[in-house]
Amino acid sequence: MAVYQHDVVVVGAGLAGMRATLAAIQKGADVAMITKVHPVRSHSNAAQGGINAALTSRGDDWDEHAYETVKGSDYLGDQDAIEVMCQEAGAAIIELEHMGVIFNRDEDGRLGTRRFGGQQRARTFHVADITGQAMLHVLYEQILKVRARVYEEWFVTSLVLDDNKAVRGVVAIELMTGQLHLIKAKAVILCTGGTGRVYEPSTNGLIVTADGQALAYAVGASVMDMEMVQYHPTTLMGNGVLITEAARGEGAYLVNKDGDRFMQKYAPNFMELASRDVVSRSEQTEINEGRGVDGCVLLDLRHLGRELIETKLSYINEVALDFANVNLAEQPLPIRPGNHYEMGGIKTDVNGRTPVAGLYAAGECACVSVHGGNRLGANSLLDTIIFGRRAGDAAAADAKETGEVKVSDSVISIDRDAIKNLMDRNPTSDTPAKIRLEMGKAMNEGVAVFRDEAGMQRALHTVRELRERFTGLGVHDKGQVFNTNLIFALEVGFMLETAETICIGAIARKESRGAHFRTDYPNRDDENFLKHTVVTKGPSGPVITYSPVTVTKWKPQVRSY
Amino acid sequence: MKVAFYPGCVSRGGCPELYPATIKVCQKLGIELDELTGAACTGAGVLQEKDRKLGDTLNARTFAMAEKKGLPIMTICSTCQGVMSQAYKRLMDDAKYREEVNALLKEEGLEFKGTVVIKHLLWIMVEDIGVDRVKALLTRQLPDLRIAPFYGCYIVRPSWALGFAEHPDRQHSLEDLIEAVGATVVDYDGKTKCCGLPILLINEKNSVDMVAKHTSTAQHLGANAMVTPCPLCHLNLDGYQPKAAKQSGIGIHMPILHLPQLIGLAMGFSPKEMGMERHIVSTREVEEAIAGRSAVGAGRR
Amino acid sequence: MRVTLDIGRFNPDAPNAKPYRQEFILEVEEYYTVLDSLIYVREYEDPTLAVRCSCRASICGSCAMRVNGHASLGCKTKLISVMDKDGRVRVDPVGNMPRVKDLVWDMKPFWDKIRAVDPFLQPEGPEPEEEYIASPESMLHLVGVMGCIMCGACVSDCTVLEVDENFLGPAALAKAYRFTGDPRDGKTKERLKELNEYSGIWDCTRCMECVQACPKGVAPMERIMALRDKTIAAGIRNTNGARHAEAVSDFVKKSGKLDELRLVPRTYGMFNPMSLNSLFAAIPVGLRALRRGKLPPIIPHKVEGKENLQAVRRIFDKVEGKK
Repeated sequence: MAVYQHDVVVVGAGLAGMRATLAAIQKGADVAMITKVHPVRSHSNAAQGGINAALTSRGDDWDEHAYETVKGSDYLGDQDAIEVMCQEAGAAIIELEHMGVIFNRDEDGRLGTRRFGGQQRARTFHVADITGQAMLHVLYEQILKVRARVYEEWFVTSLVLDDNKAVRGVVAIELMTGQLHLIKAKAVILCTGGTGRVYEPSTNGLIVTADGQALAYAVGASVMDMEMVQYHPTTLMGNGVLITEAARGEGAYLVNKDGDRFMQKYAPNFMELASRDVVSRSEQTEINEGRGVDGCVLLDLRHLGRELIETKLSYINEVALDFANVNLAEQPLPIRPGNHYEMGGIKTDVNGRTPVAGLYAAGECACVSVHGGNRLGANSLLDTIIFGRRAGDAAAADAKETGEVKVSDSVISIDRDAIKNLMDRNPTSDTPAKIRLEMGKAMNEGVAVFRDEAGMQRALHTVRELRERFTGLGVHDKGQVFNTNLIFALEVGFMLETAETICIGAIARKESRGAHFRTDYPNRDDENFLKHTVVTKGPSGPVITYSPVTVTKWKPQVRSY
Repeated sequence: MKVAFYPGCVSRGGCPELYPATIKVCQKLGIELDELTGAACTGAGVLQEKDRKLGDTLNARTFAMAEKKGLPIMTICSTCQGVMSQAYKRLMDDAKYREEVNALLKEEGLEFKGTVVIKHLLWIMVEDIGVDRVKALLTRQLPDLRIAPFYGCYIVRPSWALGFAEHPDRQHSLEDLIEAVGATVVDYDGKTKCCGLPILLINEKNSVDMVAKHTSTAQHLGANAMVTPCPLCHLNLDGYQPKAAKQSGIGIHMPILHLPQLIGLAMGFSPKEMGMERHIVSTREVEEAIAGRSAVGAGRR
Repeated sequence: MRVTLDIGRFNPDAPNAKPYRQEFILEVEEYYTVLDSLIYVREYEDPTLAVRCSCRASICGSCAMRVNGHASLGCKTKLISVMDKDGRVRVDPVGNMPRVKDLVWDMKPFWDKIRAVDPFLQPEGPEPEEEYIASPESMLHLVGVMGCIMCGACVSDCTVLEVDENFLGPAALAKAYRFTGDPRDGKTKERLKELNEYSGIWDCTRCMECVQACPKGVAPMERIMALRDKTIAAGIRNTNGARHAEAVSDFVKKSGKLDELRLVPRTYGMFNPMSLNSLFAAIPVGLRALRRGKLPPIIPHKVEGKENLQAVRRIFDKVEGKK
């Protein structure tokens, strides 16, 4: 065991984590970034289509971007936070460009845009269809430039509290050695990403396991609007891999088995570029009513031509060929809605602060809330960059005002004992993989595109049963070096905790809003549910409270595309 | 069959034994050679690093010359083959580029149409003549030889420029021919790796280390000879083997045969006819192994 | 479909830890990738199997490994495309990097080399208020390099790294190209000078292993060739590599053929006293070759026919003149 000390510790090295780290370093803080995988393996990589920003200097209006985000959120997003994000977006894009991101350009050599869903104007900046990857690698270049301290392949097992219940560090396992370390800090920023693996299938990578949400929840922070789980309209059948919305942004059609562009029926104005919840529901309706093809509908790019596909959509061209054996220029691609994004998360203000002193969150694991009931495509990257920076700034500023960290080195023994228990326990036939798979399937059946009371209760029941089984789980691998079996078990614990908050939030919200669509309550109910679901850990389980939605200038209206 | 023969620079330069050996073997194989005497060097990948279009244009010129004759090009060098295959693929993949290059050939009255076939003698033997037919043309089997194949980079990579999808047998063509002469194939990782020649004059130590690695591995696995379809590989594996032995401190003795030499010896040509005396690493043991067998055969007669 | 996975394993926690092989016979779906089957082993057969993976969609770069001896991404390689006729597939960790456990290796040497090329944009002068203006053409070619996911497949199979661990290697050099090719970067000449040093661009042996191994079409070797071209164009020519390229070009232009005899002194630099040693070092081979009658002809070969020679020279003039 070793003990480390920093002003600010950032957990996670995706876009939000790296942006927060850079910001805090710039503010003069001693910062360390802890990440369970190498930074460039982070799942921000998988964001394909782009990043939204209204560049006012070229006639776009951030107010319009904000309105469309509010509308996309089905009025559950906090409008003050959305205004912050949309207003700061333009400068953030320029900053990224200056850092080195190779955004696509127009003929004049300026940054070019494409159109994305839920928006009238083309304001999505992009690097072909590898925008997330291109940004992630450039931010990592900046991390190398400033020689930031990175604890690579360290897995955080818990947050450390001082006597005043303020977060003052983390405990983490170093994968290469199996050693447990205490890293003390005046501020901890969680940037651990979403909850994808709670579901099966999911577009998310295997590392997306709701770590931050569970870590924060365990120390008394709240999670908010967790029931708002986005199903992306275009995912591959077998393994659930993502096909970017940019395909539709560039003009691809969605057709059913009869060859009809069915979005005509559901969103006659926006067609394929309606917001994601709307498109996913439309697809699922077509499939449920027998107009699908093997449980899918078809994404047709053929009319776009080979050259456009190969230059602007080269990555999905590769993915379609590798994983579905479909040549996009010649055949339509079977796709279906699939788990993709968690709009909810750790409740924070616009500076990433949680109600727990010393604890901050940014990116997908946080809920500011800018996405409300449904996130617009290409707003997630923006979220990470804007609120990653703001959290880094705030944490660094607060750390300056924070006195000496008073945490005993012995706190590490709690985690050490828990891990020893897990390691000592004899493995049964139950494995982390089995438990996760059962959870994932239950969630995908009960808390998906269309929901009802009975289905959600079944999912909750399964999750609770699995939590029981989890307490008896052992690990097979008794080794110290790179014990992924142990890490996987810990992750499953985090996911089960989080899954429960998703279920109970969903059951309690007796209306349909954004991604949360209940067949037993098919209408939006602003009178009773224009409010955030807030779940906090109580002495005998989760406790639900509600907090108001901030409305500045856009009063809730009927939402149509 | 008749081919437009592209001997390459090295078969008459650094490895002057290769050219006459090829002529003799082709005669027996029934390959009629119409040599492309006016064709330039492929650039060997070196010219391409300075200016790819320049290299591609010179190769397009060669292709056009063969197309004019209506004959497939036959190479006897992995590097020539690979550089030409890559150039061909680039020209075929990009119509605009092809037009630009053709514009440069116009003054000479040449046009690259894309109909040309470019094949190494190795592939011709396996695909066009056939291993069985080659075997039938041999006068003796060489069972005492344990031979390590050494392909040369450019005839195996990148696979998509070399027609491996349509001709999967190309990937084990050299082994097929080693077996055809009755010898045993010695398999090892190095068979598709680099001989080191391209950096010989730039980083001699690394280059010679590569020679040491491959020849000593083959020796360790019991090979008593190595065969290569690439005279550039031969230059390094043979010419720098003494230095490799010194640098590595391993007592390496690995005779390196050109592919036509191996086939030629099995066809009954004498070592002298195959130019074996020109090698740096003595091929005496190989010759003795072959002669010993022949003597047995003669005795029986 | 039945597959036999033959996995190269290593457990560093075991007493007298030694690499060993283990076979798993699995019934899997036809669409399974190599990674899918490894995850299956990890989840249902042997939870101690260590393999890095995340996205399953060839974008995170975690799962580089050797399949049947050649590096690729486990998630991009369909079993059916690599199984032999008996349904066997051999899986090993990547090469040229130290092994940690099973299919997990230590990437430190990899990242050390990436760091060594100053892998970040270094613009010159004050930043513009808005974005840098740059033509789409000047940026588009960089997207291909930006497609590098740092998986290490190229480094695994690099033949130079097998004999010289100091070589910067294909990934770092491709990364370096990304900056020298960026119109926003102000340090191109300094970068090229650095890359021109020992262990840099000229040490690549052009074997194409990295081009073949790269799962993202980055073609690192071609980036290295582009760096060589840029270096020569920038007037940095005092290397054997640069002289070699120039010499080959001159010979082909002059005669249509290579002139191996004269290539040696031209490459070492005839009037470069620093190169005398290497020149002398090359002589024993030359003398031995001479005795064997192997030395290239004193009078270099030419393409036959005056009109052919003129045609070759004309192509040189036209293409190079345009540069």
